[in-house]
Amino acid sequence: MADAATIHSSFVARYRKPLLGGFAVVLFFAAWQAIFLVVPYNPLFISKPSAIAEGYVDLIGSGDLFHDLAVSSVPFFVGLGAAVLIGVPLGIVMGWRPRVGYALDPLMTIFYASPLVALAPLLVIFFGVGVSGKAIIVFSLSVFPFIFNACAGVRAVDRLLINVVRSLGGGEWALYSKVIFPSVLPYIVAGARIAVGRALIGVLVGEFFAASEGIGYDISRFGDLFAIDRMFACILTVMVIAVVLTEGIRWAERAAFPWRAG
Amino acid sequence: MAETQTLPVPAAARDRADDAAPARGLWQRIEPTALGAGSIVLLLLVWQFVPYFVPLKAGTKLFFTVPSQIAGTLWQMFASGSVWAPLGVSATAFAIGLAMAIAAGLPLGILLGRSKTLDAMFDPFITAFNATPRLVFLPLLMLWFGIGLWSKVAVVFLGALFPLLINTYEGVRNADKVLINVVRSFGASEWDIARLVVVPNALPFIVVGLRLAIGRAVLGVVVSEFFGSQEGLGVVMVRAASAFQVNVVFAGLIIFAGLSLAMTGLVKLLEDRMTRWRPQHVNAD
Repeated sequence: MADAATIHSSFVARYRKPLLGGFAVVLFFAAWQAIFLVVPYNPLFISKPSAIAEGYVDLIGSGDLFHDLAVSSVPFFVGLGAAVLIGVPLGIVMGWRPRVGYALDPLMTIFYASPLVALAPLLVIFFGVGVSGKAIIVFSLSVFPFIFNACAGVRAVDRLLINVVRSLGGGEWALYSKVIFPSVLPYIVAGARIAVGRALIGVLVGEFFAASEGIGYDISRFGDLFAIDRMFACILTVMVIAVVLTEGIRWAERAAFPWRAG
Repeated sequence: MAETQTLPVPAAARDRADDAAPARGLWQRIEPTALGAGSIVLLLLVWQFVPYFVPLKAGTKLFFTVPSQIAGTLWQMFASGSVWAPLGVSATAFAIGLAMAIAAGLPLGILLGRSKTLDAMFDPFITAFNATPRLVFLPLLMLWFGIGLWSKVAVVFLGALFPLLINTYEGVRNADKVLINVVRSFGASEWDIARLVVVPNALPFIVVGLRLAIGRAVLGVVVSEFFGSQEGLGVVMVRAASAFQVNVVFAGLIIFAGLSLAMTGLVKLLEDRMTRWRPQHVNAD
């Protein structure tokens, strides 16, 4: 009896945070559903969880949701992939060669600080409504976290390790592959977490502007059609994807580089 | 200015680096600035002279412009005063949204930092909203608040709220437990603790949050004006883009970037002033 009680209390104490969080989420959806028992429900203005669930069934049943997610993921991954391929080497060289760093730092800061989304209308008109315009928007938003984090990572490399490699006759390439890249990796992953969020913004901006399919297009079209339940379903989908991506990377960071956990 | 003169120096400095110590000292001091400014000037020059070297197709020419033309357009926009009305509209949405985010974010951040239960309950929502690009709510907010000032304010508010809230929260959590206990031993209430220990301690964190929030707020203004507005600098830019007035688009971008840099620069000064005595904190975007 007493044992059961202590086990029970330690279970609650241990999982207090996730339990409370889960409870709050359930409470939130329940309250959302229940409030329309009191307040008049206007489906043109707001939705409720049961209607959103029906919207989900509808979207999944027709296959639209997965089709549009697949369409949106192409510019997302193309742009993000290009951002990694260009941003990481550029950042590493900027961090490793002080002169390159001096030369490019102010320029990159200006680019990073300016709302590059503002060029989206031009890019969409220039590249058309296809993948390339959106991929370039995604790239231009998500490349900077990679550059800055790779740069910061290189500057934090242990000088002792570099001297050891040099003493043992390692060349420039050995330095990059044996010392610099491994110690920069955690920084790059941290940058990826920020870049993913910005890449999502890029996809949405591109699709709000000009698209005929994709999840961002869905959200704005369902809004125009006053199909609020399906619009909420798409918004929730984007939220879930965003949380899974950023928290997934955070989890990977903790698992792969536990000494940096924070 | 001096940039063009200092440009050729790197090669020379490298060659002489070992035998000319005094020159090297001087160069080392100005090198970062000179190289940084030099690369910007170089980029602008290359951009300016591209049309002379690369033949552009007629279609591409529609989208192409050079820095001198952008500068001319920018000058004209300010000289004729045509920039002020849309800029005022954008600035109003920016200011109201940011003020509301501060008014809501700071108390909520302090509350969540002080109460473990509330923190645990709000955590899933804050994580979800912070991870999601706020842009996704734009069509919904336009539906709710209509096209105009208040949907913009809502986007700015949502964008700026979370950096402020999360940084305030971190700052409150960072407060020295010993100090709190001392104040409490002397009979302080929760309000006194907040006023005497928690808020002063969290202030540098809040300022960092403010810097991030300004960037997000500017982004929010731009984006919401692109999609759901009838006036404002963002609207001017979209209209110019569809009329192939590329100069105006770049001029708008420069104004937004300039304002964003100026405001974050000011906050950065405040931040350096306040955090001079404490170790560097990494605050990811």
